[in-house]
Amino acid sequence: MPVPAYTFLMLSGVLFTMGAIGFLVRRNPLVVFMCIELMLNAVNLAFAAESRYLNSLDGVVFAFLVITVAAAEVVVGIAIIVQVYRAGRQMDVDELDLMKE
Amino acid sequence: MDTLAPLVLLLPLAGFLVNALAGRVLPRRIVGLVGAGSVGLAFVASVAILVQVIGGHRLDQTYFTWWQTVDFNVPFNLYVDPVSTLMILVITGVGFLIHVYSIGYMAEDAGFARFFAYMNLFVFSMLLLVLSGNFVWLIIGWAGVGLSSYLLIGFWYQRPTAVLAARKAFVMNTIGDVGMVFAAFLVFLNLRVLDYNSVFSRIHQLPKGGTIITAICLLLLVGAVAKSAQLPLHTWLPDAMEGPTPVSALIHAATMVTAGVYLVARMHQLYDWAPAAATTVAIVGGVTAFFAATIGTSQVDIKRILAYSTMSQIGYMFLAVGIGAYTAGMFHFMTHAFFKALLFLAAGNVIHAFHDDQDIRHMGNLRAGLPITFWTFLIGTLSISGFPLFAGFFSKDEIIRAALSAAGSEFWLGVLALITAGLTAYYMFRLFFIAFGWEWLSRDERHLHEALPIQTIPVVILAAGAVVAGYIPVANFLQPVFGHAVEVGTGAFIGLAALSVLVALTGFLLAYLLHARRPELALQWRTRIAPLHALVEHKYYVDELYDLVFVRPGFALARFLNTIVEPRVIDGLVNGVASFFVVEAREFRLLQTGRVRSYGFVMLLGALGTVFLVVLFLGYLPVRLGG
Amino acid sequence: MVVGFAIVAAWELVTAAGVIGFRRPIYNALSLVANMLGLAVLFLMLNAQFLFAAQVIVYAGAVMVLFVFIIALLNPVSDLSLGRRGGEWVWGAVFGVIFAVLLAALLYNRGLTGKPGTFTPEAIGAVGNVQTIGIALYTRFLFPVEVTSVLLLVAAVGAVYLAMRRIR
Repeated sequence: MPVPAYTFLMLSGVLFTMGAIGFLVRRNPLVVFMCIELMLNAVNLAFAAESRYLNSLDGVVFAFLVITVAAAEVVVGIAIIVQVYRAGRQMDVDELDLMKE
Repeated sequence: MDTLAPLVLLLPLAGFLVNALAGRVLPRRIVGLVGAGSVGLAFVASVAILVQVIGGHRLDQTYFTWWQTVDFNVPFNLYVDPVSTLMILVITGVGFLIHVYSIGYMAEDAGFARFFAYMNLFVFSMLLLVLSGNFVWLIIGWAGVGLSSYLLIGFWYQRPTAVLAARKAFVMNTIGDVGMVFAAFLVFLNLRVLDYNSVFSRIHQLPKGGTIITAICLLLLVGAVAKSAQLPLHTWLPDAMEGPTPVSALIHAATMVTAGVYLVARMHQLYDWAPAAATTVAIVGGVTAFFAATIGTSQVDIKRILAYSTMSQIGYMFLAVGIGAYTAGMFHFMTHAFFKALLFLAAGNVIHAFHDDQDIRHMGNLRAGLPITFWTFLIGTLSISGFPLFAGFFSKDEIIRAALSAAGSEFWLGVLALITAGLTAYYMFRLFFIAFGWEWLSRDERHLHEALPIQTIPVVILAAGAVVAGYIPVANFLQPVFGHAVEVGTGAFIGLAALSVLVALTGFLLAYLLHARRPELALQWRTRIAPLHALVEHKYYVDELYDLVFVRPGFALARFLNTIVEPRVIDGLVNGVASFFVVEAREFRLLQTGRVRSYGFVMLLGALGTVFLVVLFLGYLPVRLGG
Repeated sequence: MVVGFAIVAAWELVTAAGVIGFRRPIYNALSLVANMLGLAVLFLMLNAQFLFAAQVIVYAGAVMVLFVFIIALLNPVSDLSLGRRGGEWVWGAVFGVIFAVLLAALLYNRGLTGKPGTFTPEAIGAVGNVQTIGIALYTRFLFPVEVTSVLLLVAAVGAVYLAMRRIR
């Protein structure tokens, strides 16, 4: 494989960082969620790269499970966001601070 | 014997438990029966033990291991030899008689059951003290008798004087306890064992007369002095007379106060190895004997006179064990138990007859009204004064003889003891003549009545003992433990005996003259030596001295601690710790913003930090740790 | 191969920027879909065909569809955060730069240090990608699979429950 391993990993890192930035900066809960998904994807990329370059299946399997879990998480998260919307509250993560203290 | 010994202990304990827990609801008869009966049964068991001990049996039996750690093994073991056998016989025997007496004496008291519970507790503790086979249980018993003494002195707790007296006794006792405990520490530190057999066999490892063994013996002496009311820890005993008379008889005459003598006798191997300490014991005893006798000549409360007399006689015992005449000391202990208990119980009858008035100047001419009490008290007085053929004569003489036949300081202590014997006869007969009177009136106008048989029979029995006890071959019995006493030639023997009789007679005659025949002479004398008399009457102002030096500063310190240290320092510290947490929590609360973004930020920061650390430790950064 | 990688990498970076940068959520969502598809291509390059399929079908095809549906349903207003220029973006940028630098320092020119296994592409290819993974999932990784299925169940129940609740 002419492309060295570390390039995949660095790409993964950059994508993760971008997702992190987005997570910190954005205020719409849906967008925040999407940034989380971006981070998860970046991690999946790292796993797959590891699997390929070390000739093992662990990474791929793990990535698969990550996808599954992400799906479940999205389901629940969306449900919550919908409920927030239905309650008439602001779609702004800064305002949703009922869990303080 | 290994079942008899614990039985002796457990019977009074059982009596205590029954009367303590159920005494309020049981009828008085049962309470008295349990209280006196348990001691009586213990006496029977003691007699059984006596039979075996005479036959040569001994006991050093461990019943269970009480405390076991790496180095420190304390078993519960009981040690029976002639000395402890003698002690338990006296404790249970005389104790039984006093318990029976108390059934009558305390009959009208509301705290009847409580009294017997405490008395049984005392007997149990005293037996534990005596039968214990190691230092730890000795100290436990020691503390137990101190507690019982406190409870019984302050029995009539509504009386402020009684409460104060009880407290005083307890505080002084505690000083002694501290000495005992430190002595035990030293023993363990140097010998690594605490049971008697092991300790005694290892004593010779220490240098004879060296600092360690002398320190141990002196610390034990502190305990003995406190418990036996010798100088300088003696001031609690006269005050202890606030307790009911049977208490004074049992605890402050016959048994508890003699615990110090027992201690020295039991530890005789230690004291043999530390001559300086032994001499200290003798000096303390001799001086106290004289000192207390002088005070006794001026007192007017019947029980106080007897208290000082006790102090004095115990001084004799201390003198004896201090000079190595252990057998003489124990012998005197036994005879003293008889005649002192007798004197106290008889005095109790008199006090009852006078409706709790204890001033001897209000008494007099008791022969017609209280005949039994009169004659038994006379017998006791004769015995304590050392009149020939009575028990006191034999035992006191043995001590004086042992002292005078020695050299150096012991000889002079013997002289002091002889003078004290004269004083003893004087003040006892002074008491007798003033309180009981010498006139042979056949009628009595005050309509006094003799006490009930339940109170007079024990007194009579004790009186018999006060005569006969002198003939018991105690020396032979104790010989396996202490060896033979020093022998004196027959001439010296008779000479000394005659001398002591002479001295006693002098005292008697002086008392007869001043208080029976010509009381006005007594008054004249008193005014002539007024300052001296005042000194003696006020007990050499020792109480006042202690008050100034110890009590007042102590209270001042307590006040200071209570008003300044307690609120500011201690409470401040505790509150400070609490407030620290409160403040901290308040600050940390601000973290819980409830905002996802701040949480997420912190998490990512953590991730950042982790990566940073990984990078650092894997050496990927140009920066290296530690240069 | 390298060229292909470069193109896809560029695609990834651009779409990621789109995910975090667009003002209107629908554009964010669509950017994410594009990102995921690019990732799927990367999986193909890494010889993870099964993962490629899963990514497209499950992730891009189901999860993102759900996202788009919700955005369409809720029609949320544009994000307010972008109004406050400066502030948060600066912090985010700072953080991001530090993080990225660190990761780069960590990863640049380093090889993977794990112990190489036996599943070379040829070996996998001999059996078949899906078969290999299937075997692995149901033998060695059976427990995680079962747990994950329970997790899915829980999520489904939770979602139903949440949707049922009446909001006061």
